[in-house]
Amino acid sequence: MFRTLSERRSGLHPAQWALLLGVIALGVVPLTLAALRLQDVTETSMLGALRLFFEQNGAQEALRFSMVEAVASTVLTVVIGLPVAWAMGRYRWKRIRLQRTLLYLPFVTPPVVAAVGFLAMFSEGGWVHMIGLDFRSAQTNITKPSEWYTEGVHFGQFSALILAHTWFNISLMIRFVEPVVAQLDPSWEEQLRLLPGGQTTLRRFRTLWAPMLGPAVAVAATYTFFFSFTSFALVRWLTPGRHTLESLLADLGGSAGIEGYRTDTSLAVLSIAAVQMVLMLLMLWGAGRFERKHSHVLTLNDENSNRARRGPPPLRWIVGVGSVVALSMTPYVSVILASFRMRGDAGEGFRWTLAGWESAIAGDRSTISLVEAIGNSLTYAGITVLVALPLGYGVASALTTLRKRGHHKTAGVLDSLCMIPLSVSAVVVGLGIVVGMLRWYPDLFRFPYLPALPHIMLVLPFVIRLLVPAMERIDEIYAQQAQLLQLSPFRTWWHSKGAFLLPTMTMAASLCLAFSLGEFGASYLVVRVGSWDTLSILVDTVAGRPKFDPVVMPTAMALASMLMLITFIILGLNERLRTRGGTDDV
Amino acid sequence: MRKILFVLSLLLTAPLAGCLDFSSEDEPPVVRILTYDITGFSDEMLSTFTNQTGFEIELVKADDAGGILEQLLQTQDAPQVDLAIGLDNTYLQTALDAELLQEHSTDVSGLSSAALEPYNGPFAVPFDRGDVCLNYDESRVDGENLSVPTSLWDLTEPEWDGLAAFPSPLTSSPGRAFMTATVDYFENDDNGTTDAFDWWEAMAENGAIFTSGWTEAYEIHYSGGYGEWVEGHIGDAAMTVSYCHSPGVEAYYSSNWTKSTSLTLPRATFHQVEYAAVVAGASEIDGANAFLAYLLSEDVNRNMPENNLMQSVLVDATWPETDGYAHHTDTPELNAEITTQRIGQDMDGWLSSWQDATQ
Repeated sequence: MFRTLSERRSGLHPAQWALLLGVIALGVVPLTLAALRLQDVTETSMLGALRLFFEQNGAQEALRFSMVEAVASTVLTVVIGLPVAWAMGRYRWKRIRLQRTLLYLPFVTPPVVAAVGFLAMFSEGGWVHMIGLDFRSAQTNITKPSEWYTEGVHFGQFSALILAHTWFNISLMIRFVEPVVAQLDPSWEEQLRLLPGGQTTLRRFRTLWAPMLGPAVAVAATYTFFFSFTSFALVRWLTPGRHTLESLLADLGGSAGIEGYRTDTSLAVLSIAAVQMVLMLLMLWGAGRFERKHSHVLTLNDENSNRARRGPPPLRWIVGVGSVVALSMTPYVSVILASFRMRGDAGEGFRWTLAGWESAIAGDRSTISLVEAIGNSLTYAGITVLVALPLGYGVASALTTLRKRGHHKTAGVLDSLCMIPLSVSAVVVGLGIVVGMLRWYPDLFRFPYLPALPHIMLVLPFVIRLLVPAMERIDEIYAQQAQLLQLSPFRTWWHSKGAFLLPTMTMAASLCLAFSLGEFGASYLVVRVGSWDTLSILVDTVAGRPKFDPVVMPTAMALASMLMLITFIILGLNERLRTRGGTDDV
Repeated sequence: MRKILFVLSLLLTAPLAGCLDFSSEDEPPVVRILTYDITGFSDEMLSTFTNQTGFEIELVKADDAGGILEQLLQTQDAPQVDLAIGLDNTYLQTALDAELLQEHSTDVSGLSSAALEPYNGPFAVPFDRGDVCLNYDESRVDGENLSVPTSLWDLTEPEWDGLAAFPSPLTSSPGRAFMTATVDYFENDDNGTTDAFDWWEAMAENGAIFTSGWTEAYEIHYSGGYGEWVEGHIGDAAMTVSYCHSPGVEAYYSSNWTKSTSLTLPRATFHQVEYAAVVAGASEIDGANAFLAYLLSEDVNRNMPENNLMQSVLVDATWPETDGYAHHTDTPELNAEITTQRIGQDMDGWLSSWQDATQ
């Protein structure tokens, strides 16, 4: 009765409703439990904690630093990324897919790999160091509060962080801006040149380019700000001593939520997490608004013919874009080189050696070996895919059905609720597991696959986001054909959905794998309070050890190199599988 | 369709297989040890223990000594481990007060009196020790550019502006130990009107660098250590908090070369002792005691300086002579005299005063 009623009204089977609510609960329950626990321990409400934000030790400073570095990162990303995206969209490039892939690569690079890569680049022997920019105080330190920033920010460290954020987020600029430039009908510009409003470059910019590109740039800039604001691994390694709200939460999170112990820490965590959540929701709201404007602009011309009409890029653009692509590869090269480089005895510089790799493979001295760490990471990544993909598929299917039945508002609300883990940061998701689950149910410490849970929480929104549009694009006629042919249920599904969704599912699976392998924020909190080592955390653990023994850093670099290679192999396989049928990609 | 559902359910439930206990009675008993990243616990050392006793070892990692205490506190009602290794004498009293530990049955007669001095009760055994003190860069603190301090107040002079790095006592064990030492130092100096937190305030005003951990202070800011060969080094501090044997370790790994030395002002050093203890409610008590005995055995504990970069707790322990290890290690004249009971009682207040003083 209930089933019939449910299916008739919404088109959803009760089991689909249960799945939807289950997925929402998966994202919401740990966070709610964590909030309740912290309120319980501190005897302060969330609202009360919000008001106490400026009284928390280091919170104000962290907020200021988050803002400063996020603004600087966003500005630099726009300054570098916009011309690259503009040039890539405007002309007919050879091997543009390769260029695009190389520029997208940083976005899926494990943050800890990027962190040690930039460390190596800015340190002695690195190319940035060679051109005179480094971490050393003698040349570049700006420490006086009156000169720059409270308690001092070292210019070398700060530049490394900003460049690393730019490197990460340049792909966003390309993702949003390049298609607009590529699809813009060249005749518009030609016609505009004849009109008084298009006589000069500035005027053309004001009348054509700014309104056309503005929303796309705004979306990319907002997301860049969002990701820089919540940066953790890069801040931890490149600007030690400085905190973003995210890194401060990670630092304090381990001792939060324990009854009768360090209540001040619990209060700080509650307060900072509340403020960060409010700010992140504001940013996402802003990004959403810009994205809607952006989608109105995106009904333009075929980009193939546009590119053909504009011809190949001039030499200055080939050099410019080529340099950016080449430079974006240098952190990877730096990590690999640093894994073979070990300091000699004092004053004797560096020497090349395999000792780092040998030590990483042996995994002696209380850490697990490289092979074990890879095994752990792949297990968690495998579980993440096995759980997130079917769940994401089920939710996406339910949301699509709701929309097709005209329940747009219900689908929208449910969609937003599924996205909750994305609107809080990775560290807050980790806090949800530690404070929301482990503090209440300590027996979970023995659950060997716990680290996969935050990964599942964090990737599910991505999977849903990928699958919903793909499902919406499928014409219903294929389902009707399958019904007419009276195919078996599986073949019906395959004919009407499966075959069309396979590329998207493959992409979702590989993104889940790559994300889980490189995930750092949530894992940092969860793994720190348990004994689950992942490759990503192992890099951080080893790199964080006292380095009296010179082999420590090459070992960390070797582990980072391996994490990087595995991630790239997975992404490469995905690209092959996805494009096996010959995808048209300009 | 059923086949597909069956395969899917197998795939989805496979990860949960680990939760189900299919272990047979023949499997060796496992001792679960909660510890931080102690470098002395090599695979070889752990497998020797297993071969000798038949107990398997499973390490559960915490971040540091504070992390060990936090995990013990939160799992007090449902203990997850048998042994806790790494609580030091600035954390031990809290664990004792919260009744997190239980009596061990290990013979401590072979341990030095220095190791047993902070705590000699039945709930924890010391397994390594070291003196926390200030280290300085001899190439900069050479009497011309900077003079060697003869009092902690000297560090508040303008010549030391921005040149000392301290790990925070809120998040670092050596930082906590050094702050504890300063309490005793200023309680026993000639000036009865100022206390440790006046000094910390003066240090903050004199541009002292505060870091969250030892690693950051020593590697990134301190110019006298191996940090200058490490990625991310800045080297703005000529003095930092480490151990009195850190210059010895520097020399040991650099063919008897170091430019770092320690400042052993009376009562400005802290004798840090690290403990191993059987956790209250442990399920593998015999195995835990066996591991304690193994940890204190001649073969394992005597090699602490090389394997764990800390001093052995056995009687007549010495630093190795190899590559200047012993030569560059200083012995404090007089360590801070402050009891573990007082530390347990006053630590929260000190931390809060330290925060107020340095903010």
